This record gives sequence, structure tokens and C-alpha cells, in this order.
Amino acid sequence: MIRSYVERGLLAGAAGGLAFGLFVAIVGNPLVGYVEELGHAGSEGGQHGGAAAGEAVHHAGEGLLSAAVTNAVSVGGGVLWGLLLGAVFFGVVYYFFEPAIPGGGATKRYVLAGAGFLTVSGAPWLVLPPQPAGVEASLSTETRILWYGVMIAAGAVVSLLAIYTYGRLSQRGTRRSVARLSALAPLALLALPVALSPTAGATGAVPAEMALAYRGFVVFGQATLWFVLASVHAWLGVPSSIQTADPDYEIEGPAESAD
Amino acid sequence: MSTVSDRFAQARHDLTAREVAVGLALVAALGFALLVMQEPLAHDALHNFRHSAGITCH
Repeated sequence: MIRSYVERGLLAGAAGGLAFGLFVAIVGNPLVGYVEELGHAGSEGGQHGGAAAGEAVHHAGEGLLSAAVTNAVSVGGGVLWGLLLGAVFFGVVYYFFEPAIPGGGATKRYVLAGAGFLTVSGAPWLVLPPQPAGVEASLSTETRILWYGVMIAAGAVVSLLAIYTYGRLSQRGTRRSVARLSALAPLALLALPVALSPTAGATGAVPAEMALAYRGFVVFGQATLWFVLASVHAWLGVPSSIQTADPDYEIEGPAESAD
Repeated sequence: MSTVSDRFAQARHDLTAREVAVGLALVAALGFALLVMQEPLAHDALHNFRHSAGITCH
């Protein structure tokens, strides 16, 4: 049974990946290149201190690749990113946690998409907000990878807590609106690792408006990717073998199956 | 099939250890390549993707 779930997850992932690949091709490639030039041009006249030296080392490989290669590989990376999220979240995670995720049909998928977005992007961004290309982050790469991992784990934990809270409350017959609001409470726990984390600064000369617009572009891209994943997955429906094997399937009740 | 633990039991029954290992390896490899690989050529080729997706392990 898990195979048909993973298959559907991959199908949804392929659709989401193609959409995100298109987004990278049309907006991502030109925008990242443009912002990067802005950042470099701005820092050119300024201090060529330690950060700039680090940047030179960091971008050592850049000259070896033509823009066409970078663009094509990045589009491919976008497609694979969608496939990975689709297979992991809408294949494996959805298979295991389908009984616990509240709602029925499409709602279940959008709840999962919200939890996935929070885990993979939202929580890590609290410590490491998306930086435009061309600015140099103040934290070392190792520190950033470590905190990226920590925040993904924290995001997964609070997502599970939120779903668990909602399930428990609706099992007890709490009003739905109250259960929904209370389910959001665990998200406040994310403040804990954020408070412990080092402050991620960045040095570079990208104008503030541009940096803001850039963040909007990144958030929009990821939110759209999750929306497409969830919508396509809902559109694919339920494997027919499961519908016939489990007559209770899709009967919506106040989370009768939370645990 | 109405609880999470039923799903785990069912998966344990349906899948062989080798399938689980291959699946995990595939996910780990793809995740590593996209998120944290620092090898300069591969890293820079994925530069625009990382910045578009807001991945700052960079």
C-alpha cells in the first residue's frame, strides 16, 4: 500500500517540481543574477576586508561555469526539489500520518503542505532568512548548516505537536474554532531555538527595498510550490485499492483517529 | 488502517529492509546534493536554485 502512496507523492512532486522549475527559469535565474550584480557593484568601492576575501575564495568555482550551465542546472535543481518534497511529504509522511492529520480530502493535503512549508522553509528562515545573492553571510557555512538542520527538526516537532493538539482537543469535543486556535500555540515554541541561535547578519550593498522584494519572491516561490503539491495530490485522489479496502475512508468526523 | 501505528505496522509488513535502505539513501543523496553540498562546481551550478528556494547553506 505504501508503494501507491509514494507513487502519488512522486506524481504530485513532479507537477510541483515542474512548476517550481519554471519559476526558477522565468524569475529566479534573471533575478538572482541581477541582484548579485547589484551586491557586487555596491561593495566594489567599499571595504575589501575579510568578508570580500572570503567571498573570493567562496566563489572560486564560479568562473568555471557558464551562465547557461548554472541556469540549466538550477532549473533542474528546482524540478528535483519538487520531486524530493513530493516523495517525502506527500508520499511517505502522508502515508504514515494520514490518519492523524485533521480534515478530509483536500483539507488534509493543505494541512500537510502548511506543516511541510513550516518545517522545510518557515522555521529555518526564522534563524537564516533568505539572503539575496551577492551579500556575504556573517556566520560560517558549518554554523549555518547546523542551524538549518536544528530548525528543520524544530519545525517538524512543532508541526507534529500542533496536529496532536488539534486531534486531542477535537476528540474531547472542544469547539472547532477553539481547537484550531490552540493548535497554533505550539508554533510559539519555535521562539526557543531562535532565542538560542546566533544572529545571522550579512554584509553587502543590496538596497533594502531590493532585499525585501527578494524575500517576497522567495516566500512566494516556496508557498506556491507547496500549494501546487497539495492541489495536485488532492486532484490525484485516493488509490482505488484503499477506497475499496477501507470503507471508513474519508468519513469526516472529529478526529476519531488521532492516535 | 485508521491509526498511525497501523500504518507503521503495515509498512513493516509490506517493505523489505533493502527497499527501506534504498529509499532512505536516495532521499539522503538528493537532499544532500540540493541542500548542503559545498563542492564548488556542483554548488555554484545550483547557485540560482538555492537563492530562489531561500536555502542559505551557502
